[in-house]
Amino acid sequence: MSGGYHSARDHRGPLRLDCDVVVVGSGAGGAVVATELAQSGLRVIVLEEGPRVEGPLHGQMRPSESMRHVWRDGAFVAALGVGQSPTINVTMAKCVGGSSVVTGGVCFRVPGAVLHEWQHELGLEDYSEEGLEPYVSHVERAIHVEEVPVSMRSRSTTLFVEGAERLGVPIKPIRRNTKDCNGCGRCNFGCPHGAKMSVDLSYLPRAVASGAEVWSHALVERVVTRNGRAIGVVGRILNREGGAAGDRLEVRARRVVLAAGAWHTPLLLQRSGVGHPRWVGRQMTLHPGFRVLARFARPVRGWQGALQSAYTDAFEHEGITLMGLFVPTGVLGATMPGVGAEHVAAASKIDHLAMFGGIIHDAGGGSVHRGPGREPVVTYRMAPEDRAKIPRVISLLAETFFAAGAEEVFIPVLGMRGLDADAFRRTDLSRVPAARIECASQHPLGSARMGCARENSVVDPDGRVWDTQELYIADGSVLPTSLGVNPQLSIMTVATRFAWRMRDRPLPPLD
Amino acid sequence: MSDVLRVEVPDGVRGGRGLSPGARAVALSLAETLFASESGPPSPERLEWLGDDLDHFFAHAGGRARSVFVLCITAIDLVAPMFIRRLGRFSRLSLSERFAALTRFEESPAGLALFGAKAALCVVWYEHPAAAREVGFDGLCLVRRSA
Repeated sequence: MSGGYHSARDHRGPLRLDCDVVVVGSGAGGAVVATELAQSGLRVIVLEEGPRVEGPLHGQMRPSESMRHVWRDGAFVAALGVGQSPTINVTMAKCVGGSSVVTGGVCFRVPGAVLHEWQHELGLEDYSEEGLEPYVSHVERAIHVEEVPVSMRSRSTTLFVEGAERLGVPIKPIRRNTKDCNGCGRCNFGCPHGAKMSVDLSYLPRAVASGAEVWSHALVERVVTRNGRAIGVVGRILNREGGAAGDRLEVRARRVVLAAGAWHTPLLLQRSGVGHPRWVGRQMTLHPGFRVLARFARPVRGWQGALQSAYTDAFEHEGITLMGLFVPTGVLGATMPGVGAEHVAAASKIDHLAMFGGIIHDAGGGSVHRGPGREPVVTYRMAPEDRAKIPRVISLLAETFFAAGAEEVFIPVLGMRGLDADAFRRTDLSRVPAARIECASQHPLGSARMGCARENSVVDPDGRVWDTQELYIADGSVLPTSLGVNPQLSIMTVATRFAWRMRDRPLPPLD
Repeated sequence: MSDVLRVEVPDGVRGGRGLSPGARAVALSLAETLFASESGPPSPERLEWLGDDLDHFFAHAGGRARSVFVLCITAIDLVAPMFIRRLGRFSRLSLSERFAALTRFEESPAGLALFGAKAALCVVWYEHPAAAREVGFDGLCLVRRSA
């Protein structure tokens, strides 16, 4: 089999492959490792559970079609809230290119304060701004990171910025991995113009050109180990109706790299019986996110303009980042309270709505458990100090919109009607039950964290799983704390570091 | 009514099982309640289109998505009538009773189930060109062309 894209969906019978390095997952982490290693001359196989959706198709699909074909489980994925935590809708992709295909393209370097904690509290000495510079600048060149110009901001974002200026809150432009973006606002459903440099466009084609094989519809269930060394993976090819598991998949490799994301990598470790059980699948962070919609007297048409273009870190000392975003009408409609005529009347004013969001730089409260099927069951117990930040996030967003002239706001409390400024200020948000809070996340991280000792982590500072030779992890699950900002660039930076270290280490023979 | 096309993804999941007839009936009774305006419930043709596209959605999004959706609508079907002190199924109530039951259900701690169901119904419903026109949506990148 030569380098290229292959679909296991159309394969009949068991699929057996050999290679130097097998990479499980084709997202921001896996694509980077696969490309760097393939370009160094190694025979690389990438296994992806989802389909391959080529660029132009994204522009032809309605958002709900993207959700059924590209997003994992049609976006019906949640971390179940425990105690005083809301249940959190966690969205991610399942396709070649992983979630990089459906992000807003937002790129932040690992914040300095986070690196300081990693270095001085966790002992990750090489993780300084200077130490990461070669890797991050390499990635930024590869994915074309650029600042979103003010002219591309949506009116939704511009209104929030006006409110922020009146309150003295500084707003900054976001950097994204885009090239010739026209700001059509469709990023979360795949870029229709090939302007977002997701890894299916920026990395995997280079891996394939260097001989890598990328297999879609290839589900890995377990890492195979012998005498303390990873020697391959086994699973199923998804060649039955409805994407059901079919024939056996078996890949022998001299090195195994897991990059299935923080949701699934710990599940693979648990099924394989490797990694410290106290840390595998524990302390997952999510950046719990909350949105506030604001209705203005004049039309806003928030869908016109870049999906994400501005943010503020003015509240980072409180563990809060506010960021622009927008969603399609169908999702907006779902957030409109009421039923029947009341709902229809509210939905008829969707073009007057602006939106901004906020995320909490959370402590790890997520746990990944083996479920009855092939998907994990994830629970999330929000730390009390994070729970206390929810009213603050909502209040910051709402007051900024009121400062911009909003007539009413729709806050993320299920069933709550629009509130004008007086009604909002009379509402005691701290008394809203967790079960009624609408919360979302796009950033599961830290479920197989990196550390300096096997007693308190799953992988070492180079991504090697403690006590299992030739098994690496290169995705968001290794990040040892939450970042407080979108993690795509940080994941790619760390993956590049791991890949360059792997490149320099000799491989054992195939077992 | 097929004036909205669906894209065939060459490497996509082969369609599996969609909604059962029972689940589809509950979903459409919910949609009829949710999207009824002052001039009355939506047309049967629009509801049929919604049912067809939901069926396609869950045939491709996978078993877990379908299970979660069916769980949400089943909870509503069984529990929502109790909020107006009625026994039996939500889908068998009159339209005015369904309004009352759903309004109270939404404001209860069980409202998350309605939010889950509403999300799937709204995402598809508002993609219909007529629905997009009704809410003034003109996002060219997000509107699918008509046949």
